[in-house]
Amino acid sequence: MNEVFQCDDKAQLVAYLYDELDHVARRRIDDHLRVCATCAAEITGLAGVRHELAGWVPPDAELGFSIVPKVRDEAPARVLRPAHGWRLPDVPAWAQAAAAVLVMAAGLAIANVQVRYDASGLVVTTGWMSRSAPEVTPAAAPATAAGRADGDWRPALAALESTLRQELRAARPAAAPVSASNVEGAELPMQRVAQLIEESEKRQQQQLALRLTQFNRDLEVQRRSDLVRINQGFGQFEGRAGAEIARQRQMLDYIMRVSAQPPPQ
Amino acid sequence: MASTDEELVARSVAGDHDSFNQLILRWERPIYALAYRVIGRDEDARDVCQETFLRAFRALPGFKGQAKFSSWLYRIALNLCRDWIRRQKRTPVVSAPEGIDIIELAAEQGPVESIEELVARKQLSETVAIAMQQLPEEQRTAIILKEYHGLTFQEIADLQGCPLSTVKTRLYQGLSVLRRDLEARGMTRGRASEKAS
Repeated sequence: MNEVFQCDDKAQLVAYLYDELDHVARRRIDDHLRVCATCAAEITGLAGVRHELAGWVPPDAELGFSIVPKVRDEAPARVLRPAHGWRLPDVPAWAQAAAAVLVMAAGLAIANVQVRYDASGLVVTTGWMSRSAPEVTPAAAPATAAGRADGDWRPALAALESTLRQELRAARPAAAPVSASNVEGAELPMQRVAQLIEESEKRQQQQLALRLTQFNRDLEVQRRSDLVRINQGFGQFEGRAGAEIARQRQMLDYIMRVSAQPPPQ
Repeated sequence: MASTDEELVARSVAGDHDSFNQLILRWERPIYALAYRVIGRDEDARDVCQETFLRAFRALPGFKGQAKFSSWLYRIALNLCRDWIRRQKRTPVVSAPEGIDIIELAAEQGPVESIEELVARKQLSETVAIAMQQLPEEQRTAIILKEYHGLTFQEIADLQGCPLSTVKTRLYQGLSVLRRDLEARGMTRGRASEKAS
């Protein structure tokens, strides 16, 4: 075994750097570093790199994996990933926008949204239930035949509905009066719904505020970062410009000196 | 007193899922950090992390304790990272840490850390990530295992399947390249000269 550390023994140097040496070998390298400036500088430089490496921090990701045991005839136990925000990392923005439009169109179709503008103004209706039919008097019934002849089936339908309603009303006993307790019973769920809506709104507002704050902070970080880069750029530019000015000044001094000298005889 | 990895492994093998979930809780962050630094992408690192524990769980009955549980996990994760890199058929992109983590960090730390400190840290992190990107995979992995996971040379050699001397060479060469790179970017030189003086 060598008693003296050799400068090209990089394996020993790395072991020294990470403190994975026995006491004797460590002391031998310590002795060497006192007399060898090159190795000392190398160790210092590598230690500096290690210090910088400590600054590389991975994202603070939400993990929380867990094993879910097998239940009856289901698939074997599996590691589930934690729920986190829905992401579309590889889908371009235009595709996402197109998908959003499609979803909205499908939603409108399902909701059967109808927009109508007539004498009573702009009317927007949704859903598949038929509109409340206008009151049709029996006297108006003959007119329905003419309407049918014209191909307009709506008055006929309204007349039919009206007739049916009258028959039903005649068939069943008079409806029980609505008691106060029933009204209260109906109001309670409504209050609950209103409360839920209010809570949901509050939650959404809080989330929006949080996201806005995060966005602002992100923006500020980026702005400062850009400013630092711009300053660095200006610094380099000023350095180059300063060097150029100094060179031109030297040249000017030289010309002045030469021109001040008397011409050779 | 918290159970050791070995105790939890034994209980998991006997069918106690909660014990394995404790192991996950203990090791998911180091495994995620390893995957993130090796492959450089948050979402893929999560996938690797998830797959690591899934494979570990399935292979648990075959784990005889010949190595530390953590080393076994690291080996699975590194193999998955290698597969991922091979699948991508390109040099892994060690992207700069995404802005969101800085923001989340800021949100957690509140007013303690100023914007200037955040900017400086973000820049430092980006610079180191880019410098690490230049290294060959073996050197990068050796440095990551040593610097961020504190493995011994021998453990790294076992994981990478190479002699001890090769690990030291990889570390030396990797650190030397990083040193030149970081110095060229205006980092470490000042600190190095300060220390030298």
